[in-house]
This record gives sequence, structure tokens and C-alpha cells, in this order.
Amino acid sequence: MRNAFSDALVAAAVADPKVLLLTGDHGYALFDPFRKARPEQYINCGIAEQNMVGVAAGLAKAGFKPIVYGLAAFVPVRVLEQIKIDVCYERLPVILIGDGAGLVYSHLGTSHQSTEDIACTRAIPDLTVLSPADRFEMTATMNLALALNSPVYLRMGKSDRGDVHAKPVTLKAGEMVQVRQGKQRLALLAIGSMVKTAMELCDLGLDAEVWSVPCIKPLSRQQLAELVARVDGLVTLEEHSVMGGLGACIAEEAAAIRPLPICRIGVQDRFSAYCGTWDYLLKEHQIDLFSVQNRVQEFVNHLPSSSSDTFDTA
Amino acid sequence: MNKFNSKHIRRVVLDMAFAGATVHIGCAFSIVELLAVLYRNHLRVDTANPDSPTRDYMVLSKGHGVMAQYACLEELGWLTRDDLARYFKDGTRLKGLADAHIPGVEATTGSLGHGLSVGTGLALAAKLARTDQKCYALVGDGELNEGAIWEAALFATHFKLDNLIVIVDKNGYQAMGTTDDVLVLGNIEDKFTAFGFEAVTIDGHDEAAIDAAYARMKQSLNGKPKAIVANSVKGKGVSFMEHNNIWHYTRLNADTHAAAVAELGDTA
Repeated sequence: MRNAFSDALVAAAVADPKVLLLTGDHGYALFDPFRKARPEQYINCGIAEQNMVGVAAGLAKAGFKPIVYGLAAFVPVRVLEQIKIDVCYERLPVILIGDGAGLVYSHLGTSHQSTEDIACTRAIPDLTVLSPADRFEMTATMNLALALNSPVYLRMGKSDRGDVHAKPVTLKAGEMVQVRQGKQRLALLAIGSMVKTAMELCDLGLDAEVWSVPCIKPLSRQQLAELVARVDGLVTLEEHSVMGGLGACIAEEAAAIRPLPICRIGVQDRFSAYCGTWDYLLKEHQIDLFSVQNRVQEFVNHLPSSSSDTFDTA
Repeated sequence: MNKFNSKHIRRVVLDMAFAGATVHIGCAFSIVELLAVLYRNHLRVDTANPDSPTRDYMVLSKGHGVMAQYACLEELGWLTRDDLARYFKDGTRLKGLADAHIPGVEATTGSLGHGLSVGTGLALAAKLARTDQKCYALVGDGELNEGAIWEAALFATHFKLDNLIVIVDKNGYQAMGTTDDVLVLGNIEDKFTAFGFEAVTIDGHDEAAIDAAYARMKQSLNGKPKAIVANSVKGKGVSFMEHNNIWHYTRLNADTHAAAVAELGDTA
């Protein structure tokens, strides 16, 4: 996924000399291909994220197409006001990349973890919010972001979970992508690393539809309405707080269509308490596969169409 | 009357503030000469196109002084007299702080510490595109409390943005008191020099000194960003407003408006 990101960056810069990569002194090896291919389009702004986003706005006003890279804890969270006022209020074509979103920096602790970035960004008008799940979605979301010519936040989370798609995908703004068909009247909607988790749930015997939601904002209401019409319940999965994230987006939109039960799986309203691997922190936050399986089983048991054999017992 | 006459601009600001019953009069009065000389003699604009790709950039980072800029934009023909007369009324387009949706206003400011970074980006854009465009960024001395200002200063020096001219409106006041009382700034010229700028301190109401400083800084292509520290008087031009921070907040009434008009003269 990170290679797909790097490839997309290089391709964009080679295709258009107005594309500039700005980094807040992050992305050590990641940007080697870019620096080799287009050194004059690479700007290390130093450890000064507020200024970096303001500079990006100025560059965009003058006709450049800045791609601003940082860790999600800093871009967008630290610089939210610059994104709102300097970039979005003028609808400038600035692409903001938040790397390591979610619990990726598990050992480093709360300062580098980011489970509130979607909640913060989706409330800003004119800002598109994207969250790819694998290398194919990374390529597609980068292509979409470059084509939009307006502000974009692209959330890059756990990047080594493997593919969820078998082949390249194309994306339109707002569209969800179906990853799996299902016979149960249940749909799993997930972003980033948790799309893989949703697939793994189905490998355990759950026969639900699985959808990836790489475009969190805008969100196609029509697509969601069609989905809501044919299922009895929705489960959302995200490596982000359940407050204001994917689950909240889906619940808000679905509630305007028809009432149905929604199970929002994600980080609860709490910080990580301990140090540990990414897998360890998923368990701490009860969003590891085993915890999620139990949550979904419990949820399904209370649905009108419930059956006791949701998961294989073998 | 000559274009961009300071007395006239001050009177226009006064009448806007009275008509709209607005605050921040002192903030606008301290930058009148700085803007008047810039628009009159130095800022390259295309009056037919505020967004001309060859324009010089004027970023009012201290958005609280925007009434003075609105008066200049009206002289450029980008705002109308009616815009000014209806300032602060329901459904009008001129907001109380600098707003980039207005032609000639390059950044949305008033939340402080934003404009200089945007201006730094504009100056860098001119360098990357190899144009001779200048970027003037007017910041308040109180605004220098913001950390982002010093991030921008480091960046401007590192990237050799000698086309960036920072103007510091050093009126000595910020919202809650004097800059010395709130968060002492020390010697501002020395600070910018230490950050790698070519810096000078002038009288911010002496038009000849302002003109000479702009001319010098425009011509100095030595790789160093520029800082003009302008010693100014908050509320300049009306005796009972000068050095009186209450005019950051106070609205005019008929009596105070008439008294101010008597001092400024009938130049509206």
C-alpha cells in the first residue's frame, strides 16, 4: 500500500510539474523514489506543520498542486484550523495525507496515535475524506484526490494487511465498493485495516455483504439507501473512535432513510492505556478479530432474522 | 485628491465603523499610512483583474485592521461605496475580519498567525515560477505571540524568500493590554535579524520613511526575507483614540463620531 502511494506520488509529479510534495520532516525512506525522480518538486518544510499547511495554501492559490504529508496525529489533527481557514474556505486544491492513522504507532503511545482525525475533518465544509483499504484503493483514492481539484484528506492507516480486492478498482466520489456478496440480511461496512477484519469474519462463517468505504465524505446516500433496504442490520468497523467516525457517518445517513439496528465497532471513548504491538492494542480496544466476532454474534442474535449459527462452530 | 490619501482613508474607516457600529477602529487606524503608501506607490495590481497571475500579493495577516484595507480596495474599484456604507449590515459581503472571498484580500485572517504562512507560500510560488512578484504580509506586533509566525520566519529564510516583505505594525497593544504587559516581545527588529531577515525599523506614520523602506526592500535581492518594523500608534489620527486600547472594543456614537470628524476633517 505504501508502494502504491509512493508510485502515485511520483506519477503525479512526473505528469504535472505543478504537483509539489510538502512534508513536515517525515517519510524518511518513503520519499526516496520521489526525491530521485523530481527533487525540485520536493519540499521539506521542517517540523512546523502549521506553517506547512499555510504555505501549501499560498502555493495552491498561485496555481500549484501541493500534496502535504504528515503523520495523522499532526496532519490533519494538529493543523485543523489551517485546513479549515487557509485551505478549505477557499476550496484550494491541497491534498493532505495523514499517515499512520489509527493505532499504527502502537508502541509510541497517544501522541502518535490518531483515532479522532475523521471526526475532526468530516465536519469541515468542502473537504473530501478518503480512507483506502489496500494498494488498489490507494491508487484509486490518489487518482480521485488528484482529479477533484479541491481539498482532500487522505487517511493512510495500517498498510501491510494485504489486498482486499483481487484487481484494480476505480472510484467515484461518494461510492462504496462491495468486497463480498452475502446471503444473510446483514452488511459489514468498513474502512482501512478493518476491511480485512470484515473479510476474516466472513472466513469464519459469517455470510454477510462486505463493503469498503474508501470515500467517507461525501457518502452516496443512494447507494446506502439501496443497501439499507435489503438488510436487517449494519455493522461498521473502523480503527478510529466510534464517535464521529465511519460508524457515526453511516448511522447519521441511515437514520434519515429508515430505522434499523447499527452496530458501531471501533475505538471507544478512551485513550490507549498500554504500550504494545498493533495486534496487542487492537485487543486492548476490543477491535481484534476475536472481540469483533463476539460483538457481531451478539448483535446478530438480536436481529429479526437472527439464527444461532452465524459463525461456523467448527 | 491624490489616490490613497491617508486622511481620506482614515475618514472612510471612521464612517464605516460608525455606520456599522463596529469595533477594531484603533487596529485599522495604526496601519493607514502603511497601506496607503503601499497601494499608492508599490503594490503591482491589475485594476481590471484582482486575481491577475502577475500581481504582487498583499496579505493582511492582522485581519483586525481590515477596514483600512477595504477603504483601499474601494479606491481600486474592487469594492463599491455602497459596500462600505452597508458594512456590518445583514446579508452584506464585507465581514468584520479579512476574508479571502473579497477581491484583493489574499487570506482569511483574524485568527492570528495564518496570513504570514499563506504569504510565505505565495512568495515561494513566485520563486518556483521564477516571476518577479513580491509578497507583502502585514502582521501585528501582538500577532507575533503566535508560534506559526516564527515557523514561517524560519521557512522564509531557509528558502531564501527575498521577495517576502513582512511589515510589523508595532502599535504596542494587543487585546488585553500592552505587548510588554501581556507577553514581552523584546526588540522585534533584532528578532527578525536573528532569524535571518534583512530588517529595518521606521516610523509607521511617516509616509516618506515608509516609501523609502518599501523601495529599499523591494530592490534588495540578497536572498534574505525582509522585515519592516513600523512604530505606530494604535488609534492614530484621533486624539482621544490614540494609545487608548479601549478603541479595540468601543463602538462610535454620534458624539464621538462628530468629535473624530472634527479632528480628521471632511475628506469623505
